[in-house]
Amino acid sequence: MIQHKTKRSGTVILAQAPSGVPLRVVSIDGGYGVRQRLFSLGLHIEDTIELQSQAILRGPVLVRNLASDTCIALGRGVAQKIVVERLDER
Amino acid sequence: MSAEAPVLVFVGQPNCGKSTLFNAIAGLKAETSNFPGTTVKHTHSRVIAQGRVLSVVDLPGTYSLNPQEPAEKAALAHLFQEKPDVIINVIDASILGRSLELTLELMELRRPMVIALNMTDLAERKGIHVDIGELESCLGLPIVPTVALRGRGIKELLAKVFEILDTGEGMPAAAPWSKDVESRILQLEEALAHGFPLTVNKRFTAVKMIESEDLSFNRLLSETQPRLKAVLDRVRKEIEEARGKPAYEVISAERHHLALKIFEDCAQVRHEHRVPPLEKLDGIIMHPFLGYAVLLAVLLGFFFVIFLAGNFLENLLLEPFQSLRGLLARSLGDGLGFHLADGFVQGVGGGVAIVLPYFVPLLFLMALLEDVGYLARAGFLLDTFMHRIGLHGKSVSPFLIGFGCNVPAVMATRILESRRDRVITGLLIPFIPCSARTMIILALVAAFLGPWWALGLYVVNMLVVAVLGRVITAFYRQSSPGLILEIPSLKAPSLKNMVRKTWIQLMAFFKFAWPLLVAGSVFLSLLQYFGADAVLNAVLSPLVVHGLGLPRELGVTLVFGFLRKELSLVMMLQALGVGYQELLGFLTRQQILVFVVFVNFFIPCLSTFGILWKELGRRVALLSAALSLTVAVLLSLLVRLLF
Repeated sequence: MIQHKTKRSGTVILAQAPSGVPLRVVSIDGGYGVRQRLFSLGLHIEDTIELQSQAILRGPVLVRNLASDTCIALGRGVAQKIVVERLDER
Repeated sequence: MSAEAPVLVFVGQPNCGKSTLFNAIAGLKAETSNFPGTTVKHTHSRVIAQGRVLSVVDLPGTYSLNPQEPAEKAALAHLFQEKPDVIINVIDASILGRSLELTLELMELRRPMVIALNMTDLAERKGIHVDIGELESCLGLPIVPTVALRGRGIKELLAKVFEILDTGEGMPAAAPWSKDVESRILQLEEALAHGFPLTVNKRFTAVKMIESEDLSFNRLLSETQPRLKAVLDRVRKEIEEARGKPAYEVISAERHHLALKIFEDCAQVRHEHRVPPLEKLDGIIMHPFLGYAVLLAVLLGFFFVIFLAGNFLENLLLEPFQSLRGLLARSLGDGLGFHLADGFVQGVGGGVAIVLPYFVPLLFLMALLEDVGYLARAGFLLDTFMHRIGLHGKSVSPFLIGFGCNVPAVMATRILESRRDRVITGLLIPFIPCSARTMIILALVAAFLGPWWALGLYVVNMLVVAVLGRVITAFYRQSSPGLILEIPSLKAPSLKNMVRKTWIQLMAFFKFAWPLLVAGSVFLSLLQYFGADAVLNAVLSPLVVHGLGLPRELGVTLVFGFLRKELSLVMMLQALGVGYQELLGFLTRQQILVFVVFVNFFIPCLSTFGILWKELGRRVALLSAALSLTVAVLLSLLVRLLF
């Protein structure tokens, strides 16, 4: 996997991350069930992802995994458990 | 087992085209769609290919061998049980990197295996070119590129399967782990005592033990095998200390990185700057605002197309049956013979002229939505609203399937991870107007009161679902685990798939529902001839006449609605002794509305009741029946008071 070198410009919760910029998954909080589910669907820590769309009314977010080119919808609650880091701010 | 026909098992991640490939080999058996988790039960089929008998099994899609949904658990239980002679691992080539994670897990089973690299056309269009030879040598497994939808690569795949069966090749080597992890897995393998109940083999068992955080498993192990549990705990702890994260995460990350490395080594990705038209369309469909406009347009379009097509066909088809009944009356008089023949014609005619005109367009459009991949998208868009009623977006797909038929919808609740979500969704599904009820709504309310009334009834219906959802979730303390749903790429619909799917369901209607309609009509004729319907009607008249304000003759038809909802409609005309077109002379518009509201909500039909019982237990089934009956009585009384 390509390791992106970035300065740590502060992390942000996925639910509050901007759309359309590359993000690196820093950590996934939550229990075994949620984490294992995300891993199975191909979302792992260190992956580069992009927020594609956010539904209205605090709805779910649409995440594209740039490495595997898969797309997952995450409920707001799940998206709040994922911490990401912006890769475009150097 | 291999004693007779060799067993081929199809395994793959959801939505990889597994069922389509299976169908191409086995004929019309499995249902396919562009939604993760459509195959919720496994399909067995015996096929003869090149003069040899094969037993092929299509398992529900599974993302990994660490199952979280009942559908996935079913897949694994079978995979272990069948002891397949050949595993056919179907891979979506357009998302090769992720798909390989399951492949690496499957390799640990150490069963003969071949990879069907499916959707290679889609991958090429996305700019992904897979070097088959390189991938074969990376994995040490035979690979056959396929495009299941067009039947490409099927012959080659079967040839490869026969080659494996004949030569015993295709036995994979377990994927390598990093040295530190490998040594710990080995330690645990060695600690597995002789006679320990292994899953498949020692290595697979050891890896799964490290990965499993299942509390009951760990407790059981510490009670029965304290020494093994001590080794397991030590191994887990060492891995965690060395890598600074939980052992299960280390295992999963190792597979992930290896899969991505293989993907990078074996595939060239050309990044195109031009956005493909389907992705542009997807941008609109999933847009925070436009998406809802599209959703509304889709639902309205759905409704009007079914109504207009159905209404047109209905009027066209009813005429011949009416004249046939006239002819029967003239030639047979009023004896038992006439009643039997008339009941038969009513049943057949009701099926052909009233049910099919609405049913066929509905099935076809449903197939279109599934094939394109819209169900998952609707799940995304409606997640917010589902949260308001205590569920999340993943329940949207069972609900939408429920518009076709409640039975597969209840089965589709298996894609939900938590029992809480399954029970709530299962209790709400019987309130989704299935095709039978849609047909009653369209044939009575839309036709006699106008399409906007029918649409209004739908809106009220959805409000009822929402209110009930809120009420039911109030009884559950724990909250829903939240939405985690793959959104498969948007696909151009395949006419072949849609026709096939419509056909499968139509056949099911002809086989099970239609005979019931005919039998019900004939039975009612007999009841009428012997005057027995009057007894039933008298018993029900307090509810039917005084409560609902309907003619007492309709009592008996409501009872039969429990068998099939359409039966209420077909028998209603028969019970009143009128033709469809003259109905307004016998019932007021208000009575029609009350009748439809009652039939729509009261009690899940027999098949839905049965599947609820089977999937979620007796208590849920009985609760569902009681709930529906209460809602039906309350709402129809309300309609009577308001209109």
